[in-house]
Amino acid sequence: MPISVREPLLVINGLVAGYGKINVLNGVDLTVGAGEVVALLGPNGAGKTTLLRAISGLLPWSGRASFAGTNLSGASPRDVVRSGLVHVIEGHRVFTQLTVFDNLLLAGYGMPRRERAVQVEEALAFFPEIAAKRQDRAVTLSGGQQQMLAVAQGLVRRPRLLMLDEPSAGLSPVLVDRVLAAAGRLRDAGTAVLLVEQLVEKALALADRVYALARGSIVLEAAADEHDLPRRLEHAYFGQQSAHGVTPASP
Amino acid sequence: MIESIVSYGLALGAVYALIGITYNVMFAASRVFSFSAGAVGMLGGVFGALFIDRLGMPVVLGFLAVLAVGALIGIVTEIVTVRPVLKSLEQHLYVLSTLAFALMIQQLVAIEWSTEPQPFPRVLPFGPGIFDQQFWLPMLACGSTILGLELLYRHTLVGRAFLAISEDNYAARALGLPERELRLASFALAGAIGALAGFTGGEMMLAYFGNGPLLNFYGFVPVALGGMGSNRGAVAGGLALGLFQQSANFLVGGVFASVAVFVVFILVLLIRPEGLAGAAAARRV
Amino acid sequence: MRDTASAPALAAKAGGFARLEALLPVVVLAVGGSCLPLLGDSYLGVIATRACIYWVLVSGLNLVVGFAGQIAIGWVALLTLGAYVTSVLSAGTVMPELSPYLALAIATIAGAISGVIVGLPALRLRTFYFAMTTLGFATIVTQIALAWKSVTGGGVGVPGPVLPWPFASPWGFYYFCLAIAVICTWMTTNVAASRFGRALVAIRDAEVAAESVGISKPALLITVFVFSGAVAGLAGGLFASLQSYITPDAFTFDLSVLFFIAILIGGRGSVLGPLLGTIILTALPEFAAPLVAWSTFLYAALLLVIVLAVPGGIAEMLDYKNRRPLAQHREIRPRSELLSKLMTDNANPTVLALNNVALSFGGLRAIDGVDLLIHSGEVHGLIGPNGSGKTTILNVISGYYAPQAGQVRLNETALQPRAPHTRARHRIARTFQTPRLIGAASVLENVMIGGTIDGHGAFVESLLSLPRHCRDEALLREDAVAALTAVGLEQLAAVRSDRLQHSELRFVEIARALMLRPSFLLLDEPAAGLSVDEIKRLGALIVAISRRGTGVLLVEHHADLIFDICDRVTVLNLGKVLASGSPGEIRAHREVVNAYLGA
Repeated sequence: MPISVREPLLVINGLVAGYGKINVLNGVDLTVGAGEVVALLGPNGAGKTTLLRAISGLLPWSGRASFAGTNLSGASPRDVVRSGLVHVIEGHRVFTQLTVFDNLLLAGYGMPRRERAVQVEEALAFFPEIAAKRQDRAVTLSGGQQQMLAVAQGLVRRPRLLMLDEPSAGLSPVLVDRVLAAAGRLRDAGTAVLLVEQLVEKALALADRVYALARGSIVLEAAADEHDLPRRLEHAYFGQQSAHGVTPASP
Repeated sequence: MIESIVSYGLALGAVYALIGITYNVMFAASRVFSFSAGAVGMLGGVFGALFIDRLGMPVVLGFLAVLAVGALIGIVTEIVTVRPVLKSLEQHLYVLSTLAFALMIQQLVAIEWSTEPQPFPRVLPFGPGIFDQQFWLPMLACGSTILGLELLYRHTLVGRAFLAISEDNYAARALGLPERELRLASFALAGAIGALAGFTGGEMMLAYFGNGPLLNFYGFVPVALGGMGSNRGAVAGGLALGLFQQSANFLVGGVFASVAVFVVFILVLLIRPEGLAGAAAARRV
Repeated sequence: MRDTASAPALAAKAGGFARLEALLPVVVLAVGGSCLPLLGDSYLGVIATRACIYWVLVSGLNLVVGFAGQIAIGWVALLTLGAYVTSVLSAGTVMPELSPYLALAIATIAGAISGVIVGLPALRLRTFYFAMTTLGFATIVTQIALAWKSVTGGGVGVPGPVLPWPFASPWGFYYFCLAIAVICTWMTTNVAASRFGRALVAIRDAEVAAESVGISKPALLITVFVFSGAVAGLAGGLFASLQSYITPDAFTFDLSVLFFIAILIGGRGSVLGPLLGTIILTALPEFAAPLVAWSTFLYAALLLVIVLAVPGGIAEMLDYKNRRPLAQHREIRPRSELLSKLMTDNANPTVLALNNVALSFGGLRAIDGVDLLIHSGEVHGLIGPNGSGKTTILNVISGYYAPQAGQVRLNETALQPRAPHTRARHRIARTFQTPRLIGAASVLENVMIGGTIDGHGAFVESLLSLPRHCRDEALLREDAVAALTAVGLEQLAAVRSDRLQHSELRFVEIARALMLRPSFLLLDEPAAGLSVDEIKRLGALIVAISRRGTGVLLVEHHADLIFDICDRVTVLNLGKVLASGSPGEIRAHREVVNAYLGA
């Protein structure tokens, strides 16, 4: 029985995408509701990053996807960002030759100047540690601080849905908690979050619902607090020693 | 004699440096070198002579029209010869498409303008001398361009957007930056800089279609020596090249000056392929 | 069910056809060219002579530009050199007059040496930089010709050599040039259909893969620069004779452009295409008077159109074979029992060992003190989360990266770091995370490249199609067909690789690796993008290969495949070995599960 979702914001049906000849995603179905945190888990090579890139228009894809009622088909990353869906890409890639402040300004490129200034300050308020370094060049920031800057960039446009791609990668546990706590605060403020993560326990602690992606399609969909989730996830990751190797989706 | 070497050397060096900057700005926006850099340099001289001498335009208007022509060629370069091949997997194709385009421009000029070098008008109404305008105009242009670019990159959001797409094109796209428009604008800017080089160097180099390949080569040397993408390196390299060329000219005569420049160029590149100031790129497997 | 006994027959038949097809340009030129004088038009004869001379140069340059992919725009420098050397030596202005034939021979040698000099930067420099250096060479050679008045006559010039009877008359000279052109065509088609030609294309389109099969870029490039320079020098001498008087301004940049564009319009990797291209570009301006002034403009416009629309040039347009549609639902059915045709059992047990290997990139420790032992005859799985160092280890073993600590040893021999092309002779083969194949070449050619180091013939033997070259080719072809049949792709042997599906490309890479009869096979995520059935067949194939004595190192994400077929599994995490043991032990290992689930 489908788990009820608050007012669906992002709806994806049968999404197919890949790189050149390599087909990575074979028909993905996924929904994110307003103001909820959804975790997207799965082993490496499953296609989690590919899915985010397809949604935000960085990759061509086929299938059906809509955001806040608008069809995402053929939308460029710029269109997607302006409609309120922001993708913070993997690898805390910020512009190292520019200052923290400039990095944030660029995130608001094209916005009216005053509004942009206000929202940059709001984004910085989420991460006081980097607010203190606003005039420093991004190259002087540690990996964790760069990740915080990347997330802050995502906030400048006050998105309705923020997609985070492995924000914990390469970070110490303390920083991971900080970044994930910020995601929690976003949910409290009404922003929906689609969180791709490797750290299953921490993701489950934060999320409302969880999907598992393996070998190009969704193999599991559940509420984050279901009791035997860890075991079911293990099956989804490692497969069963059979000809099919796919765990059936939750009943 | 020394004064002559220094004035011609620095002036020509400034022209070469500006073409080097043209290459760099195009490279920063697309990760690709375009033969159009030399072509717009040549057009700066030819169109300057055309607008001011032949059509009788006032100098300032003619100058602005020349910059516009340069910007236009830059835009066409991006749309026709760079954008289509960036999408393809064969990276080397950009060399061929930009070469083909530059050749077409060059031949068109040879046929429609003249195959012989034509005189370039006096821009300012002062007389000749050691501190003649043909010497300090290019240097002024070079200095202003460097200053202008600094201002652009440091103090305008557009400039910082240029830096962003140059450093990490993918992250810039994901952030929602209008990457295509920004690249187009970069090429337009590069084209204008190249035309500026040709215009201010017009009196020395004359309005001649053969300046295209010449500027392509001598404008590339500062880039290769000063490190890919570094404008400061291009200026240092350009001025050094100009002085070296004129000294060699004086010491061993015209032909062997070219040979000398070329030999030094090849030797430096063979010893340090990334240039004197550049960083060696690690191989990704 | 295909009759396996006919595989060698199939190979021989395919080989025969391929040879005939390859000789097409030679036949076209010889027959067409010989008939030309029958038209009786002496002006046509001059154009035809010029086309032949240009083609002599372009046939050599074709190997550099079309096959090796080097952007050598300024090759007119060698034409200039050859022309002046021949003229000066036969005019007797500097030293006693030499026979024109001797002068031509010396020009050829001078061209060969200069070809290496002009081409040498290609070994160190990026594409655009190298293009610039060749342009520079072209300019200074002309300038030197202008300035060195005592030898070259400066702007006034020098008379060209006059060949004695029977080549003195226009038609006689034409036949002389035609004969040389036909010989050059023959030689270059021989190279194209040899392991050298395929290796050149490999350097152009798949350099990393080329190194992994043992192709050494410097050696090969220098060889073609020598040949290319030699024929360019010879062409220069013939050119001087045709012009009867040469001045520096006969060697314009336009001429260089013509040579270069003829190859690209003709299509890279082909001999017939550039031949047609040269003929067309030489003849075109002659037949329409107003076109002469616009000729270079038109060449450039044509180049632009070709680059944007039909990058494969005339050759692609003529390639009707590859326009035939392929079967829609193709299945890959490997036949591991056929591996015995290709591989003999590896008798001596060998061990590939990593000892305390460490490598950092910047501040990141990619591999942090890893010990790894792979035995021949075993399938050893290497797994771990993203960023754990799996592919880096493969790259260290195959020599692309040098470890900062530790050693990689094959039995007792330490493997040379940063020398990937040496792995092939140690019989270490690999596949890549993204298939690295030559899209423009056929599947069979791609597989034949895997056996490049097993050829015995030298370049000269291929040039002249001597018996050892023919034997090499026949053996390589036979082996490649056997390898393709073993992986189940023999039906696609003649198809251009870029038409294949992703999963088929993965199996082609394995066939290529098998050509080395590897004692160790390194597989980098071979199951990525494969269907469940294909993964099962891949697994069976890998097991069969290992039972022949090959040690297989399998880097994979697909847990099913790993636990199904591996004899041993090593788990990496954050650059260190987390656990190593049998698949059962690993599957139950708590820490491993936690590492993947990120606890």
